Amino acid sequence: MSHDRKLIYFSRSIQPHGILLVLSHPELKILQVSVNTQAHLGIPHQNLLGQTLDTLLEDSQIQAINKCLSKDFSGINPSKILIRTPKGDRSFNVLLHRTTNVIVLELEPVVPQTQENFFSISALLKGAIAQLQQVSSTSEFLQLVTQEVRNLTGFDRVMVYQFDFQGAGKVIAEAKQDHLPSYLDLHYPATDIPEPVREAYKRGMSRFIPDLSAQAIELVPPKNLVTQQPLDFSLAVLRSVDPCCVEYHQNIGVAAIMVISLVKGQTLWGLISCHHQTPKFVPYEIREACELLAQFVVSELTNKVDREELDYIVKLRSLQSDFIESISQADNLKQALVNPAPRLLDLVNAQGAAVCLEDEITLVGLTPTVEQVRDLIDWADTQVSNPLFHTNLLPKLYPETLAFKDVASGLLLLQISKVRRCYILWFRPEVLQTVNWAGNPNGSTTVKADGTITLSPRKSFEQWQETVQFTSLPWKACELEQALDLRNAIVGIVLNKADELAQINQELERSNQELDSFAYAASHDLKEPLRGIHNFSTLLLRGYESVLDDVGKSRLQTLIRLTRRMESLIDVLLKFSRLGQAELHFVPTDINLIVNRVLEDLRISRQDFQAQIRIPRPLPVVNCDPVLISEVFTNLLSNALKYNNKAEQWIEIGYLGEEGTGDWVLGTGKSQKVNQQSSQFPITFYVKDNGIGIRERHLDIIFRLFKRLHEQHLYGGGTGAGLTITKKIIERHGGRIWVESTVDVGSTFYFSLA
Amino acid sequence: MATKQCEPLLIAEDSDEDFEVLQLLMQQMEVQNPIYRCTNGDKVLDFLYQEGDYGNQDSLPRPSVILLDLNLPGTDGRDVLEQLKQDRNLREIPIVVFTTSSNPKDIEFCYQKGANGYLIKPVDSNELEKTVQAFVEYWLEVNIPPISNSAQ
Repeated sequence: MSHDRKLIYFSRSIQPHGILLVLSHPELKILQVSVNTQAHLGIPHQNLLGQTLDTLLEDSQIQAINKCLSKDFSGINPSKILIRTPKGDRSFNVLLHRTTNVIVLELEPVVPQTQENFFSISALLKGAIAQLQQVSSTSEFLQLVTQEVRNLTGFDRVMVYQFDFQGAGKVIAEAKQDHLPSYLDLHYPATDIPEPVREAYKRGMSRFIPDLSAQAIELVPPKNLVTQQPLDFSLAVLRSVDPCCVEYHQNIGVAAIMVISLVKGQTLWGLISCHHQTPKFVPYEIREACELLAQFVVSELTNKVDREELDYIVKLRSLQSDFIESISQADNLKQALVNPAPRLLDLVNAQGAAVCLEDEITLVGLTPTVEQVRDLIDWADTQVSNPLFHTNLLPKLYPETLAFKDVASGLLLLQISKVRRCYILWFRPEVLQTVNWAGNPNGSTTVKADGTITLSPRKSFEQWQETVQFTSLPWKACELEQALDLRNAIVGIVLNKADELAQINQELERSNQELDSFAYAASHDLKEPLRGIHNFSTLLLRGYESVLDDVGKSRLQTLIRLTRRMESLIDVLLKFSRLGQAELHFVPTDINLIVNRVLEDLRISRQDFQAQIRIPRPLPVVNCDPVLISEVFTNLLSNALKYNNKAEQWIEIGYLGEEGTGDWVLGTGKSQKVNQQSSQFPITFYVKDNGIGIRERHLDIIFRLFKRLHEQHLYGGGTGAGLTITKKIIERHGGRIWVESTVDVGSTFYFSLA
Repeated sequence: MATKQCEPLLIAEDSDEDFEVLQLLMQQMEVQNPIYRCTNGDKVLDFLYQEGDYGNQDSLPRPSVILLDLNLPGTDGRDVLEQLKQDRNLREIPIVVFTTSSNPKDIEFCYQKGANGYLIKPVDSNELEKTVQAFVEYWLEVNIPPISNSAQ
């Protein structure tokens, strides 16, 4: 239906229920006239053509018209006049407007007052307005408007259309005869209203066609003799009807229509559209009342819509401030964003969202799959240069998204950090998924023999559906602002957190330094009296041997033993505190050499070394601090030696297959060097023994500082710090240590170096 | 090998117990050298510059070696070391640090400032005995002190 019908507005005919005269200015000579003057005035049109207006009107009336013309008027200004015709006095409504260089005068007969108009129209209008002022919500208000217009006019059906940003229309309110099908929620493509008509509506024009099937009345001469142009009819109230319009309405059984525009600001917000199944003449006064009502509706609507828009913005704002407050206090940003789920969606009125933080994607509501979201982000990365990207036509921009157009025809993508791959995506479904049209007009569409399709609301709906395929509701400016504000807040929060972290790190460093110097000072200050106790006990033992009995001597020896023990505890503490500070010196290290050296040292230092050492395959070369890793093996191996009461003791030292499974290939005897950098997985070493084992409940506590499982006199009594230090060394390497053990069977200590 | 009797030894040590044990050990080792003790850092400096309490004492001997504890009351041992090694006249006197601290930072600092040795005081009396024995043998018996001492 989108063919250009501009020609219509240079039509040569009018509707038969009035007369049209084209006059020169300022002479007011009749240049063109409709051929129905005989019917309305009893004067043949030939008698009027070429005459001045005073042949038809009295001087006072002409003066009134001139006065009207002298004012700068652009619209239509009705006034009633009485014309003395050969058929007697007739009352007409005069409609006057000026086109480029002529005056157009339209005369519409005044219908005698009928019983219907018993109440004065202004009273009816006041009543309607009073009613309308009682209602607060927009939808209720518009519903009432349709009812009031119906009361005023008596049309079978009155609808309010609203246009969207693309010019497509939607029936948002309707009052009708019960037996008629409902058109509520029907959508129409923008093309249903041709551009020139839309322009006329935008200028506040209304349209009244009392009988769609009435014969059109020609103008003579067809062209303006001065301009040699047909008349521009766009402001003529009596303009005849476009055949398409006739066909369209006849298809749905409509014989008369009235349309009043609702212009809000400079835009055509919508229309009040009236249908009647039989021809219906509505007196000018009532149409005028409807136009007044429409103006009231627009001003109220502006208030209501503005208020609703404002309410919406206020709602969004308050939602956002709560949201930001809660995420700013949260430890876990992702959790705070997605819990509770509706909050993130309501923020921009979306049905789905995806939060992508460092490549980890969390979905909320109606969304594509994680994989699809990932692809979408990859695509957006190549398309988007600023932090906010939005579209309500995603499948048209990126056809791969067709697969999930139902949930994501609209996309709002917020880039929080490209480098760290932090994004929030919001999705809106395809509009069609959200439109329900309950009504089903009886007039089914038919295809004629020539292939043209019968026009009907249903057909329009289908056409509209085609035009809005792959489209979601557009994102409002205030919603985009919300998203940007959220981004700024998150960036701010993250920066704050980074600042906090830096501060904490600084404090930590300071307290570590303090702790470090404290550990040294404490160890120094503790050792001094300890040395005193030790030395003086020694002096007593040596110098007073003859005086002391055996009990005294053994007590002094105990004293000496305790000072030694205390010294080793202080040393361990010092060592442990130093471990956190020490810089690690990473070098590629052959673990075979380390293990062999440690075993040699242990053989020398431990007389009870009798375990069989098994190394199933050569150990790899890894990047580590050799001094500290030596200590790890020393601790693990000396524990394995210590805590073993079997007759046949063995210790196995190895590493797991790179798959991280417990299966390893027995060594081939060839030294195989594994370069850790090239390996995908950190290598996991293990030290396995057939010793006394560790009870399950102790598996965690063995790594605690000074925590011992056995009495001091058993198993060579250590300080209870070896495993703590081991764990710390491994953690400083970025690895971890864990243990599996069965009591009386043995233990296996595993550790990885990242 | 007998110790060089005339060579005075200055010990900076605040702990009476440590000093007593040190003295005992040196007696056992038959150290003949005159031993001077300062109980804090300021006294060490006064002794060497002949100021303060030592201002009116004539001809205080110049020590041929200083055994210096680091953690001294008042002026810290580290400061004493730094000052003496910056003094053109006194810098040649060997200073052996004798301390509980095994802090690598301390060890590095002392050598940076020109310490001539760094001994750690062990708690264990046998270990202590070995350490003191080594000091005595090297610094009081074998080592040739700076000439300026004998020139005095």
